[in-house]
Amino acid sequence: MTLWFVFALMTVAAIFAVLLPLGRSGRVQDQGSEVAVYKDQLAEIERDLGAGLIAAPEAEAARVEIGRRLLAAAGSKPAVEPKSSLKWRRAAAVLALVGLPLVAIGVYMPLGSPRLQAFPLAQRERGSGSGMAQSLENLVAQVEQHLEKNPTDGRGWNVLAPVLERLGRFDDAARAFRNSLTYNGESAERRSDLGEALSAAAGGVVTAEAKAEFERAHALSADDPKANYFLGLAAEQDGRKDDAVSIWRALLAKAPADAPWRPLVQSSLARVGGGAMPALSDETVAASKDMAEGDRNAMVRGMVERLATRLKQNGDDVEGWLRLVRAYLVMGDRDKAVGASSDARQAVANDADRLRQLNEGLKTLGLDG
Amino acid sequence: MIAESGHYALVLALALALIQSVVPLIGARLRDAALMNVARSTALAQLLFVGASFVALVMLHVNSDFSVANVYENSHSMKPLLYKITGVWGNHEGSMLLWVSILALFGGLVAAFGNNLPMSLRAHVLAVQAWIASAFYLFILVTSNPFLRIASPPIEGRDLNPVLQDIGLAVHPPMLYLGYVGFSISFSFAIAALMEGRIDAAWARWVRPWTLMAWIFLTLGIAMGSYWAYYELGWGGWWFWDPVENASLMPWLAGTALLHSALVMEKRNALKVWTILLSILTFSLSLLGTFLVRSGVITSVHAFATDPTRGVFILLILCLFIGGSLSLFAGRATSLKQGGLFAPISREGALVLNNLLLTVACAVVLFGTLYPLAMEMLADFKMSVGAPFYNLTFAPLFALLLLAVPFGPMLAWKRGDLLGVTQRLLAAGVAGLVAVAIAWGWATGGSTLAPLAIGLGVFVIGGAVTDIVERTGLVRLPFATVLHRARGLPRSAWGTAFAHAGLGVALIGIVCETTWNSEYIATMKQSEVAHIAGYDVKLDGLFQRQGPNYREMIAEFNVSRDGETLSVMTPSKRSFTTRGSSTTEAALLTRGASQLYISLGDATAEGAIAVRIYHKPLVLLIWWGPVLMAFGGVLSLSDRRLRVGAPKPARAKPRLQPAE
Amino acid sequence: MTRKQRRMTIIGGSLAVLALAAGLVLNALRDSIVFFSTPTMVAEKHVAPGKRFRLGGLVQPGSLQRGDNLAVTFEVADGNAKLPVAYKGILPDLFREGQGVVAEGALDANGVFKADTVLAKHDETYMPKDVADALKKQGHWKDDYEAKPAATTAQGNPQGAVR
Repeated sequence: MTLWFVFALMTVAAIFAVLLPLGRSGRVQDQGSEVAVYKDQLAEIERDLGAGLIAAPEAEAARVEIGRRLLAAAGSKPAVEPKSSLKWRRAAAVLALVGLPLVAIGVYMPLGSPRLQAFPLAQRERGSGSGMAQSLENLVAQVEQHLEKNPTDGRGWNVLAPVLERLGRFDDAARAFRNSLTYNGESAERRSDLGEALSAAAGGVVTAEAKAEFERAHALSADDPKANYFLGLAAEQDGRKDDAVSIWRALLAKAPADAPWRPLVQSSLARVGGGAMPALSDETVAASKDMAEGDRNAMVRGMVERLATRLKQNGDDVEGWLRLVRAYLVMGDRDKAVGASSDARQAVANDADRLRQLNEGLKTLGLDG
Repeated sequence: MIAESGHYALVLALALALIQSVVPLIGARLRDAALMNVARSTALAQLLFVGASFVALVMLHVNSDFSVANVYENSHSMKPLLYKITGVWGNHEGSMLLWVSILALFGGLVAAFGNNLPMSLRAHVLAVQAWIASAFYLFILVTSNPFLRIASPPIEGRDLNPVLQDIGLAVHPPMLYLGYVGFSISFSFAIAALMEGRIDAAWARWVRPWTLMAWIFLTLGIAMGSYWAYYELGWGGWWFWDPVENASLMPWLAGTALLHSALVMEKRNALKVWTILLSILTFSLSLLGTFLVRSGVITSVHAFATDPTRGVFILLILCLFIGGSLSLFAGRATSLKQGGLFAPISREGALVLNNLLLTVACAVVLFGTLYPLAMEMLADFKMSVGAPFYNLTFAPLFALLLLAVPFGPMLAWKRGDLLGVTQRLLAAGVAGLVAVAIAWGWATGGSTLAPLAIGLGVFVIGGAVTDIVERTGLVRLPFATVLHRARGLPRSAWGTAFAHAGLGVALIGIVCETTWNSEYIATMKQSEVAHIAGYDVKLDGLFQRQGPNYREMIAEFNVSRDGETLSVMTPSKRSFTTRGSSTTEAALLTRGASQLYISLGDATAEGAIAVRIYHKPLVLLIWWGPVLMAFGGVLSLSDRRLRVGAPKPARAKPRLQPAE
Repeated sequence: MTRKQRRMTIIGGSLAVLALAAGLVLNALRDSIVFFSTPTMVAEKHVAPGKRFRLGGLVQPGSLQRGDNLAVTFEVADGNAKLPVAYKGILPDLFREGQGVVAEGALDANGVFKADTVLAKHDETYMPKDVADALKKQGHWKDDYEAKPAATTAQGNPQGAVR
């Protein structure tokens, strides 16, 4: 209701601005004329003459010229005095009283949205869950805002950091891991998580900064697998392949047979040419790997299939499409991912907003045209 | 609440503008003072409401209210406060709101300070002003409404384009708009004069301060924009002959011509029809610039997003105002009382030459801007018209103009003595020639034209100095008299001298920078040293740093000369996560008027980084010149005394001439 | 001088300046205009080596090779034809494989386009208008390019503010 009150007040002010001069008789003296300008010009000549800037004959010439203009201006000035036309003033007043509000309402109503609430940052920070979509991103944003106010909440940082990393916001993730370290204390795991985020931010390169973190983690716990793996990677990227091989071999030697990261280390080892691996027979490794991966793949495939069918029936869900494309990409099936993205574009082609959202999402997935 | 109130205030401004477009005209026809005075109060109320609307948008941006689409699309809650504010005009909708706010500001100024105008002229001027305002309010409300809302607001905004997150954006567009839009006043005056069918020397006297004000802002705005491009785009260019830059240069050229022709009209009551035409053309070119930037017909780093509806709408406004005003001009111009003719060798004659060269130079720029568009539409092939074209066309015309600049202020009104002036300019000419000789001897490499151009610059500055020396009688008269005369000298004379000297200064800067700038582009490793123009630039190392809404990689360079360390320079590359884009922040080291300029390229895997280092001799003069010009404009504007054209003492015994 | 003479002097002077400007423009048009071409147009028209023009198209994915001291080579393609481009210097921030690009320079004797400028674009969604039009004309306009202007519209783009 207050909004309409403000509108009414503003309208009244606007109408008042039109009516104000109509009520007055109009002060005629409140204006200038050519005559005044020329008189000023004449006075100026005298001043210049006094200051010695021009000589007497020139001043005289100019005086004559201006005098002519002055005469002309005075002569052309119509003798008719300003008059007042009551009829027209009334018409103008009616125009202001009726026309102005009509135009204002007529233009505003189709354009404005007087019912919508404001949604400033301050209010968001109060954490109002006013029925908006609680997507992952929104949740993350809320947690971030909470942490901005309570930066010492170590548990919060602990929760947020891996989520940020999964969302691809590596720089933010690194900062979150740092904060987690500060407020939760040192641990090898946190150090190596931080290192991982740092190298992810650098596009997979184990930078000097990241390496330092892994070294600290290694110092804290010599067996931390992530630290060891990345130190090996750092060695590989520095061109010290032999060091990489020995680090990874040592890691595999100590690793439990069913460690989920085993295949990763083995393939890395194979890449740097550290080929054959000791400790476990190849068959066992292959079996455990196949087991785990086969199971997981079957499950994932099922889920993806279901998602794809759902989207075929109802293609409006941009988030769904993006998830599908991401899933195909993760499964290494680029062709399908490309296919799905063009399907998605067709499905939302009629809706500019969704299309934009989709294209942006696809871009972050690296699939833009 | 804030959003909707701002929105409604804008609508009310439209309603007021509509009343202001009609009622004062009826009043002027009936000679009814009250009806004519409606123009003043509505103009002031309009300013109030548009101002409120603009403030509302600023508050929405500051509060990061993402229920407003414009805020969501161009802001981010983590953005620093300064850029939350400047981001208001960093996008199409907001900048249009700024545009109309400034239009209303000028209307309000005329209403508030136009007491020296005849009432009917003031009513006409404000009514025309309201026509323009109504058209643009409608444009904003219909096609580019900044107050549109989002029903289910997103939690985070999409951030402002990183290139725009810079202090330059805080100043450059408002300045430029003050210039562009300021010319609407002279346009309104011209239309009002045509409608009243009456035009005389006093008209020029009234319109000149407004034109001058607009010109000052436009001069500063262009210079600011150029400097911003220079340090922000990262490759040291400061003028690209980009269509949008041309769009700001053209009103400047026409506006400069207008300033000078209004002078002739004020003092000698001549060139009246031409001055009216120039007023119309200047604002038309401003409108054309608005159209070019916002319609998407041109490819440019400056162009806003393309939207056909907007383009068509602005094109309609453009046709309406340019077409309408030119037809009115064609219909009425012949019935206006013609001014007198005058001798070719005189102050008036020199100003006509100035006008001729400026308008022709402006036409050349217009041609270069529109020709590729026309060819694409008519002949269906694409081309670009760039610096080489303008160097061959615009430069010679401007050189000719500059050659004539020192003569203008020294010639007397009515009939001048060219020979006498030439003799008095001898010293300036000799200074120019000496400069040519020095530049020739000093310079290694570069165009042979460069020393000549420097000589020309020195000549222009010398001419400005000579003018002041002549007027004060320095050298010839005792010092006390000189002081007295200097004090009595109108400020507009000082203004002229400063503005003209500014031209020369800018010219010297442009020539030095383009001819003798040296560059070094290479990949540098840590501790590697680059040698450029006598400086040793050593890469100390690379660092990462987290900014408020970006992450940056900083390279630290140690700059020394002859073994003595001068400074540390830290160019950086910022990457903005929200938009996924990056900007290059160049580092500048100023030594006198020259600058060392470092910007970064990509880092390689081995920890080396691509680097561009430029040494730009006297580059700052390019912007000091316009600042000097604007300062001259301010001096002239502060000269409230009304001057008339009195002939100077000539050699022969002065003979009275009938005034024309 | 009589009135008539004065008028003639001024009109004559104006005509002289206009003629001068027209002459300058015509002269400049002869050799300072740079035309825009796509690789297909280059192949069809047999552009002479050394003639400057602007080349527009998409950077062929996988063709970018960096040499010593900032030398770069890549290929610009428009669907029908490809043209190798050599450039020495720092590529603009938004130069990417698969994205539109405009380069200015001339062909050398071996048919390699020696670029001295590669145009910087200020928005990642930006498709140079020249390139977009050319691709459209050849029927290589894909839906996903079409989607980009839509995205740009919503964003309201660079600098513009500016003028």
